[in-house]
Amino acid sequence: MIRPRLLALAVAAALALSGCGNAFGSGRDALTIYSGRSQTLVAPLLERFHADTGIPIDVRYGDSVELALQIAEEGERSPADVFFSQSPGTVGFLAAKDLLAPLPADTLAAVDDRYRNDAGRWVGVTARQRVLVYNADLVDSAELPDSVFDLTAPAYRGKVAVAPSNASFQDFVTAMRGAVGDEKTRAWLVGMADNDAPVYVNNNAIVEAVGRGEVPFGLVNHYYNEQFLAEDPSLPSRNHVFPDGDIGALVIESSVSILATTDHREDAERFVAYLLSEPAQRYFAEETFEYPLVDGVQPPADLPPLATLEAPDVDVDALGGGFAETRALIADSGLEG
Amino acid sequence: MASRAEPPVWLRAAATAVAAAFAVPLGWLVLRNAGGAGLFGVVRAPDALAPLGRSLAVASAVALSTAVVGTAAAWVTVRTDVPLARLWRLLLPLPLVVPSFIGAFTLLAAFAPGGLVDRLVPGPTALPRIGGFWGAFGVLTLLTYPYVLLPVAARLRQLPASLEESARLLGRTPWATFVTVVLPQTRGAVVAGALLAFLYAVSDFGAVQLLRYDTLTRAIYASRLDPPTSLALSLQLAVLAVAVVAAERGVLRAPRAVATARPGPALRVPLGRWRSAAIVGVASLVVLALAAPVAVLAYWATRGLLRGSGRIGTVVADPASLLAPLVNTTTASVTAALVAVVVVLPVAYLTARSRGPLAGAANAVVVGGFALPGLVIALALVSFTLRGPLLAASLYQTLPLLVFAYTVHFGAQALRAAQVAVAGVPPRVGDAARMLGAAGTRRFLRVELPLMLPGLLAGGGLVLLSTMKELPATLLLAPAGFQTLATRIWSATEDAFWADASIAALLLIALSGLLTWLLVLRRARVLD
Repeated sequence: MIRPRLLALAVAAALALSGCGNAFGSGRDALTIYSGRSQTLVAPLLERFHADTGIPIDVRYGDSVELALQIAEEGERSPADVFFSQSPGTVGFLAAKDLLAPLPADTLAAVDDRYRNDAGRWVGVTARQRVLVYNADLVDSAELPDSVFDLTAPAYRGKVAVAPSNASFQDFVTAMRGAVGDEKTRAWLVGMADNDAPVYVNNNAIVEAVGRGEVPFGLVNHYYNEQFLAEDPSLPSRNHVFPDGDIGALVIESSVSILATTDHREDAERFVAYLLSEPAQRYFAEETFEYPLVDGVQPPADLPPLATLEAPDVDVDALGGGFAETRALIADSGLEG
Repeated sequence: MASRAEPPVWLRAAATAVAAAFAVPLGWLVLRNAGGAGLFGVVRAPDALAPLGRSLAVASAVALSTAVVGTAAAWVTVRTDVPLARLWRLLLPLPLVVPSFIGAFTLLAAFAPGGLVDRLVPGPTALPRIGGFWGAFGVLTLLTYPYVLLPVAARLRQLPASLEESARLLGRTPWATFVTVVLPQTRGAVVAGALLAFLYAVSDFGAVQLLRYDTLTRAIYASRLDPPTSLALSLQLAVLAVAVVAAERGVLRAPRAVATARPGPALRVPLGRWRSAAIVGVASLVVLALAAPVAVLAYWATRGLLRGSGRIGTVVADPASLLAPLVNTTTASVTAALVAVVVVLPVAYLTARSRGPLAGAANAVVVGGFALPGLVIALALVSFTLRGPLLAASLYQTLPLLVFAYTVHFGAQALRAAQVAVAGVPPRVGDAARMLGAAGTRRFLRVELPLMLPGLLAGGGLVLLSTMKELPATLLLAPAGFQTLATRIWSATEDAFWADASIAALLLIALSGLLTWLLVLRRARVLD
């Protein structure tokens, strides 16, 4: 009976080995970050922060919504110190439960007040714009629509892909409710559903389908197509920004917040300040194709500066609330399914 | 049938303790729903039960189709002279490790306009848009037939060849032998496996989401930030699962124990003129369920490798970054498989030897855990560890807690296989050993365990393969920085790093093949 012993040895060896890949060594003193932003994008930045400050870090990567649910479930004993989220909806969910600490005034001041919470519970880090991605082989770029409300017209029947279950689409619908009211928003959603707008899982799936020519248009965030083009420059997918402050050109920020239960407040505040520092902001612009929110940092190549965008004026704080109502509106429109 | 003594007290106590641990997520769901308005809102809303109906429809269809496909594949590869039987036995279980979102994604990518098939097939082709019920049904069948294949194959190895030999000598065709001799003896294993396929389909989110079939799991996902609604929907799912499990146990009598179980020389039914049909059958299964996704993944991986990547942090730029996820995936899944097989044994014994209410409840709780979304199990364990005593809190986000989550989530698979194995040990064997004076422990180790080993290994294999691709609980409960191949795949798809995702997915499939061979198939074969 050598084999069971061999197996046990192998398991023990694997256990020992797996310890090496972990952040275990950093122990209790580490700053714990729950990140809804993905590892490939964020890890290099965290490494730099650690190298610059000597502050040890434990990171947990996950889906922004699931991490927010986890923090709410953890309650008082949450090991998390910082929550770095894809969307304002999730930090709004936690702010409503009074789980977030106020951020220092000078940190908040680094960002235009359009992109931060009025009560100082979270601050925007980068911004993404809602765009209409289109296939340049199938669509004449001279005939692109001026408003997201044009997309319910018969000319676009079955041609505009949407991702109703996606957080960024839901944030967009919440903003639309704030901008034009529930009735007009409901009419648009029903119009899209009646126009047979094909439903996709997420932004990636839409951009991929548009690139392949499966569907000519899609409503997404701007940087997905930039990522696709970085990996395959021959793709015919292009971004179109609705002009004149149309709600379809909404700007949504990724955001960061500090947990009310943190026992590393000083380190957490240094980390938040670091995300808003010039090198970090430049990193986001270059590597993730997102708009930096701090003045003086150049936007990604080929994109206009954020200040010159004709983005609609929307109270971002409104994005945090009203989630259940937005979901109900989308579900009632028949767009899901 | 030999008279059965009441199960001993220690067995009942052990089974109760195991069942209590498995009941944590279910208990959390009930507590969270108690007093909430969500439950009534969800039931009263128009079309409230439509997603539940769709979940039930697709899962029932998948259970039926996997029962047919899995049983046929098991018999052909274990009991006939089909060429390359060892190769098929290795390849056929592997689709189980393909995460359903990858299976669905590769299918969509392959058949979509401008996709791989479109490019390979010359001329204009009108490809159907894959999705809805049939898309979800097809993908889930291809990914879950191994749930039937593995326990049925294990059962067949246990079965004495003499019955089938007699049938063959009497001039029965392979088909007639199969229907009249093999099927009645494997019925328990078939049903055990089909129930797992049913529960997998009920709890699946990846395939139904990508293929846009609006089941309960999609409704739960869409309402996540509205916990009263999502928790009420999750409870619906749990009730459905527990009801089906209980009904199955109520309807199905315990599988008949078969005479001698000492495996003789392996029986190989000559297929004769059915030979080519059998080859085509197993080969097309392997092609559709395994080779096709692998081909699409390999296409993306090669394209990415040839092109290189200027983006930082990619696998293409730094292949060594996959080493830690590889080790972590192996550690966690092997540990979870071992733990699951061991802890479900008392429940398997109790449920096989007793039909009392305790056995029924333990069975329903353990098997029902498989139907719950991974997110629900993870959140329940968050609450369980952090809101309990401090000692439990020290386990939070450690490997033991993660293994506990895997065990609760996938223990059902080990239990079903173990039940089949326990039932396959004729009580007379134990009786004989007892008369010869073998003490309890020795009897178990020397007589019963060797007889059950193929079934237990199959159960462990199922847990192993499921754990390797688990995502939601891993993201929430793993130790900080503990990456697995599944989390790497997920992270890469989030950022549209298709090459990275494909390489990690290919590695996951290769690792699962290696581990299945090393730990399950090779050891099982020693016995026959």
